[in-house]
Amino acid sequence: MRLLHAELLKLRTAPRTAIGLLLAMLGLAVLGSGSTASSADESPFAIEASVSDILDVASLAVIFSLILGILVVTWEYRHGTITSTFLATSRRERVIGTKLVIGVIAGALLAVLSVVASLSVASFWIEIELERGHWELIGRIVLGTAAWAVLGVGVGALLQSQVGAIVASLVWFLVAEPLLGLPLDEVADYLPGAALDRLMGVDTMEAEGAGAPSVEHAYGLGVAALLTGAYAAGFAVLGVVSAVRRDVP
Amino acid sequence: MIEVDHLTKRYGNTVAVDDLTFRVTPGRITGFLGPNGAGKTTTLKAILALIRPTSGATRVLGKHYSELDDPVRKVGAVLETSRYHPGRSGRNHLRVLAAQAGVPRERIEEVLELVAMKGAAKRRVGGYSMGMRQRLGLAAALLGEPELLILDEPANGLDPAGIRWLRDLLRSLAQQGRTILVSSHVLAEVEQIADEVVIIHRGNFVTQSTTAELAARAAAGVRVRSPQAERLRELLSTNGMSVVVMDDGALGVVDGTPERVGELAAANQIVLHELAAEKATLEEAFLELTAGETTE
Repeated sequence: MRLLHAELLKLRTAPRTAIGLLLAMLGLAVLGSGSTASSADESPFAIEASVSDILDVASLAVIFSLILGILVVTWEYRHGTITSTFLATSRRERVIGTKLVIGVIAGALLAVLSVVASLSVASFWIEIELERGHWELIGRIVLGTAAWAVLGVGVGALLQSQVGAIVASLVWFLVAEPLLGLPLDEVADYLPGAALDRLMGVDTMEAEGAGAPSVEHAYGLGVAALLTGAYAAGFAVLGVVSAVRRDVP
Repeated sequence: MIEVDHLTKRYGNTVAVDDLTFRVTPGRITGFLGPNGAGKTTTLKAILALIRPTSGATRVLGKHYSELDDPVRKVGAVLETSRYHPGRSGRNHLRVLAAQAGVPRERIEEVLELVAMKGAAKRRVGGYSMGMRQRLGLAAALLGEPELLILDEPANGLDPAGIRWLRDLLRSLAQQGRTILVSSHVLAEVEQIADEVVIIHRGNFVTQSTTAELAARAAAGVRVRSPQAERLRELLSTNGMSVVVMDDGALGVVDGTPERVGELAAANQIVLHELAAEKATLEEAFLELTAGETTE
């Protein structure tokens, strides 16, 4: 509990980065959902689908959640506060473990905020009526976003370098993984980014809601959730082991 | 209190600390000395479980640091690498540590008072001077009222008044029965407060002795000035002392005491204008011990 309190204090007392990240996410959510919603109501057929379109925009929270997870660890290395943190709690797995908990909480919170902001803005143009499928999609977005904050904490603890960790993970998910997918078609669906796409994918909802499957998937939502969870847990374990074993610079 | 046993730390091909063994006695101030790059910080980091030794072991209060139950209340440390988030205020930095260690908030104000940082506590650390950072580091180390303090070059960045303040603070902390290990590459910083010194050089143990012993080990001598210098010189030589003539005409008596020189002069009715014990400083002893191979 002490550690959790200390971690929350860290977030509260050095708020510029965290607030900047939150504002950037909300800004994007507002812009994205605003433009999606305002264009959608011109086509007569789109109104039904556009709530999930808006939720698709809201799912961009996952990138911010990943970065936040990375920051929570790497800013301690970057600013050297990791020394006093480890001196005060010499069992390092507890320090990283607390940061993982913070990641889950903050990631889920980011997802909820992003969904609320996107839907609120969209409600100026379209009527928001959340059906069961929508709620499930929101749940999947929250789950995926929280999982990726955990993944971020793991990657951060593994790489320790702030810029390095952010660049490496963005390059992986935005460039490397899509490129790898071309020659490695079989495996590609099971890579972390693909698993997340599957978990937070809008098309699934349409398929279940409207009864018109648009894409063939390699596996179901349960497997996607498991895979995403496994990747997050895997990196979390790697991060903890790395933090415990390596010398503090 | 602190035990270092055959500690070795290698970074690639570089040996930072080489088979180092020493003990720090409770209730005293021990100076941990060596030129820059001697391996002092590496040793302290190993003691504090921040790095893994290549071989050997370290213990504080009988345990490895990572096995201490409530480290903040037992050991306070200031390392050169302890840095701060620049956007956080000094007080908030302490609040985070206090929360982590379960130290009550009132204690924050006490330590801020102790290091004379009350006024600057609400400012962002990014704007602090080096000296203020050192004070904040000390405040953090004192949060849990630990019985053992480990300070790495705490005088770095302090102005002369600050160094004097630090000396007084450490002295008063030692008087409360705390054990203090304080590293420095400048002997003058610790010679006035340390009861004992451990000297290392290039990762190797050089010596451990009380400050007094170390001073005595340096060659002592007597400086004497007389209008009858030539006669005095003969006299001292015939009495088995080696005498050198210094630049200003005074005589340096290498193996004599002021008492002996004064008595001989009086018995032979030689006028003396000056008679003083030449105290070799610890600095000279230190330089002598760590000389030779320092050129990189």
